[in-house]
Amino acid sequence: MQVRTRTWFTFVVAAAAIFLLGSRFAVFDPLENATLSFTAPIESGLSNATRPVATFVNNLTDVSSVSDKNQALTEENERLKAQVVRLQDAEAELQQLQQQLKIRQPRGGDAFVAAKVFAREPSNSSDVIAIDRGTSDGLTLGMIALTRQGSLIGTVTEVLDDVAWVTLISDPTSAVSATVQASKVQGIVAGSTDGTLTMEFVDRTADVARGDLVVTSAVGGSYPPGELVGEVVDVGQTPQELFKSVTVQPLADLSNIESVIVLTSFEPAQAPRGQP
Amino acid sequence: LSLIIGLAVFAFAALAQVSAVPEFSILGAQPNLVIALLVAWMAIRPRRESLLLIPAAGLFLGLVDSKPLGLAMLALAPLVLLTEVRELKPVESEFLPAIAVMIMATLAYETTLLLTLTLTGERVDWLASVLDVLVPATVASVLLLVPIYGIVRLLSQDLRRRPAL
Repeated sequence: MQVRTRTWFTFVVAAAAIFLLGSRFAVFDPLENATLSFTAPIESGLSNATRPVATFVNNLTDVSSVSDKNQALTEENERLKAQVVRLQDAEAELQQLQQQLKIRQPRGGDAFVAAKVFAREPSNSSDVIAIDRGTSDGLTLGMIALTRQGSLIGTVTEVLDDVAWVTLISDPTSAVSATVQASKVQGIVAGSTDGTLTMEFVDRTADVARGDLVVTSAVGGSYPPGELVGEVVDVGQTPQELFKSVTVQPLADLSNIESVIVLTSFEPAQAPRGQP
Repeated sequence: LSLIIGLAVFAFAALAQVSAVPEFSILGAQPNLVIALLVAWMAIRPRRESLLLIPAAGLFLGLVDSKPLGLAMLALAPLVLLTEVRELKPVESEFLPAIAVMIMATLAYETTLLLTLTLTGERVDWLASVLDVLVPATVASVLLLVPIYGIVRLLSQDLRRRPAL
């Protein structure tokens, strides 16, 4: 190997190390904020321009998956319609009871900030999105991001003046304290490198079944209780294992998020993992 | 002039990598446009340009991704060593060594990011990572290299008429 190559390689690694050290102490935050603020509209435009083409190409290369998805969505639609009818009945009954008891709406004080997704982390081992809101909009570390329909998609893990990065619940570093809504069984919904969610530490005797909804739990103080995470799609167990293997499917399509809402009225008891 | 064009191309590629490329998925993985461009540049353009563009591309990518600034540059650093592959001239073709370089560069890039996760205390399932991340990402990036190589070669015919650095 040539001396020049070795020298240049050492220089590049040293420069990278200096940048990493500077990042550790937030030296480059103003530069990154300025860059992202300037490039956000360009990135947003690029993303919007390529989305229709990408959808077409991805569908072409994945016809069988689209067909399966269509079938699953049809079935889900039917199930949800039935659920809506039941919930409407329940809501009417609840309103009647609330009027009788004069109870305040439990989540009436929630405050949200709507944000547009303009970029996504380029690494295959991370599931992180960039949004066009930051500290100047009231965002802080650990706030949670939801879809407009209200299901949890992730947590703010890096925030600059005008932009923030949200680590999705499918990211391998994500761990959400959660509860199975029907049986109140507790666990941790963890992401993985292939994007699937598993609910860990679910006792082998716990009552968990396919179709159960999983919501956030207040245990640990990182999440407000009751935010929708996903639906149980598979429950497995082998005799020698202490815990059940519960696979959860997020209700939101995490690979195709265009906008989010950040729950600014909730601040976690502690900063998320990996953050100072 | 070609270096200025190169810098502009890689600045745009970094933006596209975080905005447009994630919309596409090949075998469940997103290809790396920046690495594909660097490998094509290394195979076709003068080596001195590539040596300067590798850290620049890392810096551009670091400024627009979610990772700490410097990590992308570190993950792209092995490409500096791989610039020697072209000078070794293992075969007559320029494209075949480019594919080999693409495979090594993608593996080095993704492995560096996974190692960083491990070093920062995150639990990484390495076997699952090889199957879910390294292999699909490498295949996706090699597939992307084919058109990118063609485009760089085509555009380079014009650039070659201009003085290189």
